[in-house]
Amino acid sequence: MAEAALRTAPPDRTRVLQWLQTYGVYAGVALLLVVNIAVTPYFLSAENFRTQAVQVAPVIIVAIGMALVIGTEGIDLSVGAVMALAASVTALYLGYGLLPALLVVAVFAAAIGLANGALVALVGVQPIVATLALMVGGRGLALVLLPQLEDLRNPGLASLGSGAVLGVPYLILVAGVLALLAAFVVRRTTFGRQLLAIGDSRPAAQLAGLPVRRVLIIVYVLCALLAAVAGVLATARLQASDPTSLGNLMELSAITAVVVGGTPLTGGRVNIAGTVAGAVLIQLLTATLIKHDLPPSWTQIAQAIVIVCAVYAARGRGKR
Amino acid sequence: MQRTTHRSPLLARPVIVAMAAAVALTATSCAKSEDDASAGGKSPSAAADAGQKVASPKPGGKTCTIDAYGGEKLDLEGATVGFSQSEKEANPFRIAETQSIKDEAAKRGVKLLTANAQSQFSKQISDVQDLLAKGADLLVIAPLNSDGWDPVLQAAAAKKVPIVTIDRKINATACEDYVSFIASDFVEQGRRAADLMIEATGGKGEVAILLGAAGNNVTTERTKGFKDRVAEKAPGLKVVFEQTGDFAREKGQQVTEQLIQSKPGIKGIYAENDEMGLGAVAALKGAGKKAGDVEIVTVDGTRNAVQGIVDGWITGVVESNPRFGPLAFETLDAFTQGKEVAQDIIIEDGAYDASNAERDLGRAYH
Repeated sequence: MAEAALRTAPPDRTRVLQWLQTYGVYAGVALLLVVNIAVTPYFLSAENFRTQAVQVAPVIIVAIGMALVIGTEGIDLSVGAVMALAASVTALYLGYGLLPALLVVAVFAAAIGLANGALVALVGVQPIVATLALMVGGRGLALVLLPQLEDLRNPGLASLGSGAVLGVPYLILVAGVLALLAAFVVRRTTFGRQLLAIGDSRPAAQLAGLPVRRVLIIVYVLCALLAAVAGVLATARLQASDPTSLGNLMELSAITAVVVGGTPLTGGRVNIAGTVAGAVLIQLLTATLIKHDLPPSWTQIAQAIVIVCAVYAARGRGKR
Repeated sequence: MQRTTHRSPLLARPVIVAMAAAVALTATSCAKSEDDASAGGKSPSAAADAGQKVASPKPGGKTCTIDAYGGEKLDLEGATVGFSQSEKEANPFRIAETQSIKDEAAKRGVKLLTANAQSQFSKQISDVQDLLAKGADLLVIAPLNSDGWDPVLQAAAAKKVPIVTIDRKINATACEDYVSFIASDFVEQGRRAADLMIEATGGKGEVAILLGAAGNNVTTERTKGFKDRVAEKAPGLKVVFEQTGDFAREKGQQVTEQLIQSKPGIKGIYAENDEMGLGAVAALKGAGKKAGDVEIVTVDGTRNAVQGIVDGWITGVVESNPRFGPLAFETLDAFTQGKEVAQDIIIEDGAYDASNAERDLGRAYH
């Protein structure tokens, strides 16, 4: 039906849709910036941009991992739970020092990613179901390990959360470096090519002799590790480990950023720059509504409108 | 898709389960948190149980007796009391609440049966039915919801088991379906927070409210009390910002960061629970503000927030007293002896400010 509608649509409308689909997210960010500069007091200050960037950094990091998974035609609902798990494991092992604690966090996250990947690649469970299981189980495990919020005083962790190099906070640096790395991996490495090929058509990739299982497992492990990085950074910023609320609904924010950024849920394509812009768009939208003290329910409605617009713009491109 | 990937489902599953179990085991066996490292970090547990007092009933309040309710007198000592907790004991309030019930039961030599509904209402209903089946003579319930209690109330009425509800109310008839309801007055907590804020700011300037979770009676009542009192006593104090922090520290931090960015002249922040207030403190620290630049008033009375007063970051904390044990058992005791008890009992909440925070830190719950 969508095809029929498209065929009859005038050609310039298709072109507008295509343009919106590729550049709409950047146009949205630009529009919000202009509106805010015009109407929001104290918006145009370095301090403000720093605040927005620091708040969006964990979302960007999670969304990058999510974009990779979505590129394989999968989805990972367990990212929020992995953030919570990272928070509680950090608190549990901080007694050994920051680095050992981070290593243990990485081990835990890799285990969750491995479980996700194994369920998807080896057992053949649908990604949405496999990661749903780990989403519930992961947060449960996080709460078993640390049932209650715990304050952290480790100076290394504190500087990770609030420190900066040449005025750029560590959080932003980490998010930026990870985004560049991910873009490089997707565009320039064999692994990235294999990932996209699997997303395009898994049976074809299999027949072509690609290591489908290995690539899938690695992608889910990477996604979990990225979520863990975001969890540790958010914990460092708060200087407290709060597994009950950290990462709540993060999977939805990340999926929104990916979809708004122009990565199709059907796999085979990953747009890292768009994903970053998608996360920034949602952050600016939320910030605008909060700064103007509009009711919180408006934020949710506005987000829904953005998602619908993004999906509408992506509609034509689904058929290849 | 499955056709190509099926390899060893029978093998993979036990491996994953075993791996998860092993991970969970190692995690707890060799964990070492900061507190373990700094020995003696824990202060002696709150020996000074905040003396719980009744703020109301007023002399004219409705009361209930065992004759009106129906049932037989019994001696509380030696009786079996069932306690049904609503949420899992993962936050300071619930931990202190359950502990207080347990302590008081032990003190009075009462046999206590406990159950925790883990925030699932259907589980709470079956929990209470279990408690009744196990032979509870009296019930103390911390309800998760106000509605949907009919099956339990009927079962209890059939056995003539008196019920006292704490911290949230059941929508039913007092002295018929249940005996008494014991709780804090959330509107009053809002008013007292407003008093603290008015005193701290001199009644002038702009203040912000960090709201609790939407659609929660605690949020609406704490907001109403605060705004009413401000409107009535200090019209010069303007509420210019109201955003939800969902009762969580991280959300409180993020919202406060936006707030101090867009309204640098803000003089005070009223956080509807301690966690959001502590998030606000983290945001102010991150923005390079100093203790006392912005007056923060919170509600709850957890140890961390009271410590915040000692450190100078928080101006005042209105307590929401979780220690229902003494009052609940006192009510049951009086009732089962045939005396009159009030239908609505409001417990007295304390307050902390710079004058008493250090002295009363041991009283705060955690």
